[in-house]
Amino acid sequence: MRTLVFIPAWNEEASLAAVVADVREHIAGAEILVVDDGSTDATTARARECGVLVATLPFNQGLGAALQTGYLYALREGYDCCAHLDADGQHPAVEVARLLNEVEADRADLVIGSRYRDPDAVAASDDYKPTFSRRIGTGVFRFFLTLATRQRFTDTTSGMRAANRRVMSLFSENYSPDFAEIESLQLAVREGLRVEEVPVRMLERAGGSSFLTPLRSAFFIFKGVVVLLVGQFRPRRHAEAER
Amino acid sequence: MSGLLLAAQATQVHLTSQTRIVAALIAVFFMLLILELIRRNRLQERYSVIWLLAGVGMLAFAAFPGLLEVIADVMGVRDTNVALFSVVLLLLLGLALNFSVIMSRQAAQITRLAQERALEKAREQAAEERSNGGSKSAASERA
Repeated sequence: MRTLVFIPAWNEEASLAAVVADVREHIAGAEILVVDDGSTDATTARARECGVLVATLPFNQGLGAALQTGYLYALREGYDCCAHLDADGQHPAVEVARLLNEVEADRADLVIGSRYRDPDAVAASDDYKPTFSRRIGTGVFRFFLTLATRQRFTDTTSGMRAANRRVMSLFSENYSPDFAEIESLQLAVREGLRVEEVPVRMLERAGGSSFLTPLRSAFFIFKGVVVLLVGQFRPRRHAEAER
Repeated sequence: MSGLLLAAQATQVHLTSQTRIVAALIAVFFMLLILELIRRNRLQERYSVIWLLAGVGMLAFAAFPGLLEVIADVMGVRDTNVALFSVVLLLLLGLALNFSVIMSRQAAQITRLAQERALEKAREQAAEERSNGGSKSAASERA
């Protein structure tokens, strides 16, 4: 079982080394690929110092394109499963390992780490405090995605995921550059893949700040709803046939 | 006010000869500009067809005002000038949409190109590490 853990990073020189070390410690035997999404800081250099593989995009193209690069690499280099986590230190590698276990045991094709799945843990946890606008966005997306997929999703924008080859082949061809997280869930469910959420613990980001201002959040939410609506009418590729 | 009433009472408002001459001149000038841009490699042929068609259309409307009057009739407007504006606006809307489609396709192509390049680098790096005897596990131990 060959496993690739990829880390999309955009100007994350401060936190990257710690994240890589964390992955090495908790996900034994996995190869690590850092996808540098056109950083203007020393992200690529830091990654090379850590001795991991680096795919450097020549210019910044957004999270979706960076994630797709990871899926493409995993697919083409013949990995059996892959996982990705954020480079800012929000995602503990221990939790990623649990997601990978689900995929390796073939209980699901795509596994999402959810901050909100376990309400008791959310209430008890001081680790992760979402902002007000994020809470609204989370609620809206949760509602519409659940409506669209008829499957319960709690953490629609989670960037902590594990996947098998079926998902790699789907995402390496169809992955929205603008709305990677949400649309990809809708797509996977529509294509008949088994998507599963696993409750995980997340931390406050170690470096950098959230890019979401209230106005941006509102636009983000609006765009997301449009994307989901359009996504409902996209032609299916029928991944089932490929099984 | 009286002008508006007149317009309302008139059966149809036609293009004046002056308008037609100006339109024809602009159309000819426009098409020459397109040809010149192609000649100097500033515009690719495949994106010029639609513009040349627009120029030919403009010229046709100037030469045969009857065409525009038919359109005005179909649209239910009395003033041929309004029909002219509407046609031009629709044409521009179509062109703008056409460009958004082209832009989206090219954005996707650029993204894939960048990804291919990034992947190639990573693959080279992986091959290098393998040939150096330092496999990825050795690399992890080093770090």
